[in-house]
Amino acid sequence: MRVSYSVRQQQPVNMAGVGFRRLALALSKGKGPGISALLSGCRAASGVSKDSLPGPYPNTPEERAAAAKKYNIRIEDYEPYPDKGEGFGDYPKLPDRSQHERDPWYQWDHPDLRRNWGEPMHWDFDMYIRNRVDTSPSPVSWSTMCKHLFGFIGLMLFLFYVGEKMPSYQPVAAKQYPYSNLYLEKGGDPEKQPEEVKHYEI
Amino acid sequence: MGAHLARRYITETDTEPDPSKKYEFDPQMGFAERKEREMIASQEQMNLAQLPVEQRDYCAHHLLKLMKCKRDNWPNFLACKHERHDWDYCEHQDYVMRMKEYERERRLQLRKKRIEAKAEAA
Repeated sequence: MRVSYSVRQQQPVNMAGVGFRRLALALSKGKGPGISALLSGCRAASGVSKDSLPGPYPNTPEERAAAAKKYNIRIEDYEPYPDKGEGFGDYPKLPDRSQHERDPWYQWDHPDLRRNWGEPMHWDFDMYIRNRVDTSPSPVSWSTMCKHLFGFIGLMLFLFYVGEKMPSYQPVAAKQYPYSNLYLEKGGDPEKQPEEVKHYEI
Repeated sequence: MGAHLARRYITETDTEPDPSKKYEFDPQMGFAERKEREMIASQEQMNLAQLPVEQRDYCAHHLLKLMKCKRDNWPNFLACKHERHDWDYCEHQDYVMRMKEYERERRLQLRKKRIEAKAEAA
């Protein structure tokens, strides 16, 4: 560091800059993991901890029972996601029903989410909260909805077709315009002489 | 209302006139002498007034007067009653003429058909 000392004597140097350079040098020259260690450290600080991740997929009945107990579910209700390597692990596959379908008059621990404390949470719970997806049955069946929609669209298409083939108009002749039906005004060629149009009073 | 549409598309499809097509009879037919329509506003005047094409009809001079009156009396929007009435009346007469032209064409078509039928029967 004698070199840097002599440099500092010749001209004033930003001390913070020197400090950063020393840190960068130490990180890049050092024997340890260096910058990559810092980066991975940052990554580990975000996201879920290992404790809150689901455990491995349960294969034996004992593991299933343990997982069901862990998630506060009865063993006969416990059903994990199929083990396709998607990271669900032993997380229970709960029915895809929105919170909107739940009883609004029951005294929920959390009335807004309609959820009790300790209740297992759907994997996509944020999707099924009350102001998102609603899975409650619609008043009209899907086939009836399709019939109504496409019936209406078909009717409108048919009516537009009829209106195109048989347009409606007032029983009057075409409007008469002076100067050969406004030949110049409608973009006619001024070099050519337009066909003369005469209009008469009636 | 709509009787002409029923005639055009259902009952008298061959004789009911189509306003989008040119009328086929001589405008002088059946008249001793027919007065030609007179255009008063010149093309230059209408250009200077920047009239839209659809208003450059045979009533344009009334419209020019109305616009001038509106401009001179601004902001008194009640001022140009007479000018407005003149223009409206001219447009009304123009529309009545179109109705008459349509009816003339229709009757002439019917007459032509009648004459042809008589010639065939004879």
